[in-house]
Amino acid sequence: MGDSQYSFSLTTFSPSGKLVQIEHALTAVGSGQTSLGIKAANGVVIATEKKLPSILVDETSVQKIQILTPNIGVVYSGMGPDSRVLVRKSRKQAEQYYRLYKEPIPVTQLVRETATVMQEFTQSGGVRPFGVSLLVAGYDDKGPQLYQVDPSGSYFSWKASAMGKNVSNAKTFLEKRYTEDMELDDAVHTAILTLKEGFEGQISGKNIEIGVIGNDKIFRVLTSSEIEDYLQEVE
Amino acid sequence: MSRGSGGGYDRHITIFSPEGRLYQVEYAFKAVKAAGITSIGVRGADSVCVVTQKKVPDKLLDQTSITHLFPITKYLGLLATGMTADARTLVQQARNEAAEFRFRYGYEMPVDALARWIADKSQVYTQHAYMRPLGVVAMILGIDEEKGPQLFKCDPAGHFFGHKATSAGGKEQEAINFLEKKMKNDPAFSYEETVQTAISALQSVLQEDFKASEIEVGVVRKDDPVFKVLSTEEIDEHLTAISERD
Repeated sequence: MGDSQYSFSLTTFSPSGKLVQIEHALTAVGSGQTSLGIKAANGVVIATEKKLPSILVDETSVQKIQILTPNIGVVYSGMGPDSRVLVRKSRKQAEQYYRLYKEPIPVTQLVRETATVMQEFTQSGGVRPFGVSLLVAGYDDKGPQLYQVDPSGSYFSWKASAMGKNVSNAKTFLEKRYTEDMELDDAVHTAILTLKEGFEGQISGKNIEIGVIGNDKIFRVLTSSEIEDYLQEVE
Repeated sequence: MSRGSGGGYDRHITIFSPEGRLYQVEYAFKAVKAAGITSIGVRGADSVCVVTQKKVPDKLLDQTSITHLFPITKYLGLLATGMTADARTLVQQARNEAAEFRFRYGYEMPVDALARWIADKSQVYTQHAYMRPLGVVAMILGIDEEKGPQLFKCDPAGHFFGHKATSAGGKEQEAINFLEKKMKNDPAFSYEETVQTAISALQSVLQEDFKASEIEVGVVRKDDPVFKVLSTEEIDEHLTAISERD
C-alpha cells in the first residue's frame, strides 16, 4: 500500500505497548448499532438493528446485511462506509479463489483473507484502521460457522456473539439462552429477543434486519414480513 | 496508558480520536454548513425535484455562471451543497464515471449505482491520510427503470441513503423537521405538488419569499426522464401557484 508521501504508518505503538488507533477504532465500533449472531445445530443467524436517521429515509434503499458468496453472509457494527469497502474486497477475493480452484471458498479462508485486509490497514502507510467489526455467517463442508473479525484483524469463531452499543447486555443474554443443540428457528427467536432487550422504541420488521443460512447452504436476508411473522411468534 | 488526543494529529488528518470519531469528517460537515446555502430535495410519485438558493455575492458577477445544479448525464442530475470547488471536482469525476459505465455495460448508469460510487470515493478520503474529505453533500436524482423516481444523498463520511425527501446545508435540520411533517403519511405527490412542496419548504425554513432569480430548481419526471433545470419563467409559475394557494 503506502500512499504517496505517507510512507509511514499512522498506527504506532504507545509507550505502554498499545496501538491506540486500534483501540479508538474499537470505540467507534462500540458506539455503532447493535448486531449479533448465533450458530445453531443446523444453520446460522445474524441480525442487526436498522435505525435510520429520519423517517424521510427510504428504508428499502438500505441493507446492512450483505451476501459475500451464495453461502456466506456478513453483518457489521460501526461505520457503514468502511464496511462497504470490506464487502467489496471480500467478494472479489471469493471470486478469485473460485477462479483458481473451481471450488467455492471455505468460510475460514474468506474470513482469514478479510482479516488480513483489516490488519494491513493497521500497519500500512497513510491509512487508518477500519471502524467496523464484522460477523461472518457461513455454511460449508465443515458445517455452520460464525466468525467475528475486529478492526485489528484478529478473528475468532463463536457459538454466539454480539457487537455494538448494547454488547455486554446482549452477550449476557446470549450466554444464558444459548444451547448447543439449538435449531435455526429457535436461534432466530433468540436473536430477536436479544435485540429486543436493548431496543429503544418499538421493534418491527422495518427497523431490524435478519439473515439466515440453513442446511440448504443458501444465505438469504429475511423480508420485513417474514420478520413480522417471527416477531408475532415471539410475543 | 493511552496517549490522549493521538498526538494532536487526530484533528488534522482522518485518524481516530480517542472517542472513536473522525474529526476531519466532522469538520467537513461543518464546511458544508458554512457555505450558507440550504438545499431541499423531494421525491413524488412520478417525479423528483431539488431546489437550492442562488446567492450572487456581487452584482458584477455573471449570474448564469453561478450554479449548484449539474447534469451528470442526460438522465441524472446532481445538486452539490457546500464548497463550490470541491463540488466541481466531484461533478467532473461523476460525469466521467457515468460515461464509462454507459460505454462499459451498454446501459445508462442507474441512480443508486452513481450514488454508491460517489459514496465509496468519499469513504476512501476518510481512510487515506493523503487526501482530505470533500466539503460537499451531493443529492442525486433520476428515474430508475425498475424503481421509478429516486433521490439519493451522499455526504463527506461516505454514507448514502435513498430519500423520500431530504435537505442539506445551513438550515438542514429545520428543513428536515418541516419535511417530516409533510411526508408523514407517505403522500404520493404529483409533479406540481412535488415542486411546490420543495420550494415552499425552502421559503418556510429561510423565512423569505423568493423571486425566480434567487433559486435554482432541477427536476426529473417519469414521463420525461431527462434531467431538466427549470427556467425563470417556469419557476415563476410555481411561485405564483404557491402564493395563490396560501
